[in-house]
Amino acid sequence: MIFAEDVHVHFRTRFLRRKVRALNGLTLEVRDGDFFALVGQNGAGKSTAMYCFLGLLRPTSGKVEIMGQVPELGCGLYKDIAYLPEEPHYHLYLTVEEATRYYSSLSGKRVSDKAINESLERLGLAQFKTLPLAKCSKGMKQKVGIAQCLIHEPKVLFLDEPTRGLDPLIVREFRETLREIHQRGATIVMNSHVLSEIEMLANRVAIIEGGKVVVQDDLQNLLTLNQELYRVIFDGNGNGAVPEYLTAVERTGHLVRAFLPKARLSEFMEVVRTSGLLLHECSLKKTSLEESFFNIIKGEAMITENANGRSGISSGVGVS
Amino acid sequence: MAELLKANILADVTFYRRSRLLLAFTLVFLLITALQSLPPLFMNSGVQNFNSLQQIVSTLNFFILILSAGMGLLIISSHLRNRSLKMVFTKPCRPEIWLLSAFLSAGAMSLFLNIVVLGTGVLLSALWHLPVRVGLIFISAEAFVASLGLIAYLILLAMVMHPAVAAIVAIIFNADLFYQFDLWTKAAVRSGNSSLALRMVERLFHSLYILLPIVYPFDKQTQNIHSSLRVLGSEWKYLIFSFGYALALSAFCYCVSLFALKTRNHI
Repeated sequence: MIFAEDVHVHFRTRFLRRKVRALNGLTLEVRDGDFFALVGQNGAGKSTAMYCFLGLLRPTSGKVEIMGQVPELGCGLYKDIAYLPEEPHYHLYLTVEEATRYYSSLSGKRVSDKAINESLERLGLAQFKTLPLAKCSKGMKQKVGIAQCLIHEPKVLFLDEPTRGLDPLIVREFRETLREIHQRGATIVMNSHVLSEIEMLANRVAIIEGGKVVVQDDLQNLLTLNQELYRVIFDGNGNGAVPEYLTAVERTGHLVRAFLPKARLSEFMEVVRTSGLLLHECSLKKTSLEESFFNIIKGEAMITENANGRSGISSGVGVS
Repeated sequence: MAELLKANILADVTFYRRSRLLLAFTLVFLLITALQSLPPLFMNSGVQNFNSLQQIVSTLNFFILILSAGMGLLIISSHLRNRSLKMVFTKPCRPEIWLLSAFLSAGAMSLFLNIVVLGTGVLLSALWHLPVRVGLIFISAEAFVASLGLIAYLILLAMVMHPAVAAIVAIIFNADLFYQFDLWTKAAVRSGNSSLALRMVERLFHSLYILLPIVYPFDKQTQNIHSSLRVLGSEWKYLIFSFGYALALSAFCYCVSLFALKTRNHI
C-alpha cells in the first residue's frame, strides 16, 4: 500500500548552509488496511516522512510509492487520499464554510450543501461557519481539517497530529470516527505524540529516531517487548521471608505483591509448591507503548553513544 | 477540470477581495483620483474638463496596472509562504490547474476593474457634457492587455524569489532602466570609448532590455490616442499586437512558473 525504501532527505540551513539530515535512510511499509502510527521525538522525521509519502517533499534519494505509484503533486491518487496537516496550513482568508466547501470541491467529487452542513454540525462548527479561518482557534482550524478529510470517505488517510488542540469530547468522537473508517477498510497513517491514543487505535507502529525507522512492528509485539517480568500476588502466610529474586515487594496484610524475573519462574513455582504458598496471580507484566518507546529510544541512545563515543540521542530537524 | 478551475478561481477572488494590502492600496489610489477630480467640479471650461477626464482615466489605468501586478505577486507569494498549497496539492488538483486559475483570476479581476474605469470615463464624459470618445475603450483595452503581461511577469517573479525582491526587480530593474543604460553605453561607445568592457556592458544592457518584458510595447505608436482619446482605424492593430505580445509573455511566464513550482523541493 505505502512503501518507502532507503529514503534520504537532506537540506541546508539558510544562512550557515549547514547540512541537515531530516531523513536518513527511512524504510517502512504500510500494508493495506493498517492503522499505522509513526512515533518519535520532536525532529525525529515523522512529519518529513509524511510529506514524502504525500509527494510534498522531494526526497534527496530513495523510493516512495503509494498504491504502486510514485506520489506527485495533485495526481489522480489523491482522489482516494485525505490529509490532515499538523500545522494549520489553511487558506486563512476563507471562512469555515468556504474552506470546507473549497477543499471538498478540490477532491473532484461533488459534495452537497447538506453534506457540508452536516459535517460542520457534527464537529460543532455550524455556529462559526461565517468566521474567517484567520480568526479561528487552533482547535477550530483542526476541526475544519477533519471535516474536509472525512467528507469523502477516503481509502487512505494521513493524519499529522490529528487531535492536537481539540477538546476531549471531540477527541473521543474523532477516535470513534477513525475506528469506523478503519473498520470499513481504510488505511490510516498517523503521527502522534499521544502514545495512549496510538495504543487505543493503531495496529502497527514505527518508531522513528534520527530520520530512520528504529522499530517497525505490530503494536501487540511492541507491548510485549521486554516482558521479562511476571507480576505475582501470593499469600505469604505471615512468613516474612520471600525469595531474594523477587523485586518491588509490597505487603498488604498476608498478601505479597512483587515482580518475578522470567528466568526464575520455575524456581519460584517450586518454592510455592514446597512452602504451600497460596498463589493468587502470576501474569506477564503489561508494558505500555510509552514504556516500550522509552526503552527503545534509550537503547538507541546507548547504541549511538557507544558508536560515537558521545552521549545524547542524535535527532534530526523536521521540515515544517 | 472546469470544476477545479472554478473552485480555485472563486477562492482566489475571495483572496483579492479580503486582502487588506490590496484594499489599502485601492483606497489610497481612489483618494488620489477623487482629489484629482475635485477641481473640474468648479470649472465650466470644456477643455479643462477634457484634460481632467484624460488625467483621471490615465491615473486609474495606472492604478489598475499596479494593482493587477500586486494581485499576481500576492496570490503566489501568500500561498507559498503560508504553505497552504499543501491543502491543494494533496487533492486531485494538479499544479497546472492551480497556476492557471491564479492567472485567470487575476486577469478576471483586472478585466472587471478596467470595465469599471471605462464606465467611470463614460460617466464623467456624460457629467461634463463631453462626447464619449472611442479612445476610452482603446485605452481601457490596452491597459487590460498590459496588465495581463504584468500579472504573468509578477507571478513568475513571485514563484522564484521573495516577494519583496520580486517587487524591487519589477519596479526598478525593468526594461525601461536597461533601455536607458543601453542608450548611455551606446552613446559612450560612439563617442570614442570602445573598450572591450564597455562593449560587453552595452551588449549586456541591450540583451536585458530585449529580454525583460515591456508593459506597453507600442506606446510610441499609441501616444496620440492617449492625448486625444481618438482612434484611427489603422491604430486598432496595435491593440491586437499588444494582445499577442501579452499572450506570448503569459504563456512563457506560465511555463517557467509551472516548472519552478513543480521542481520546488518542498511545498
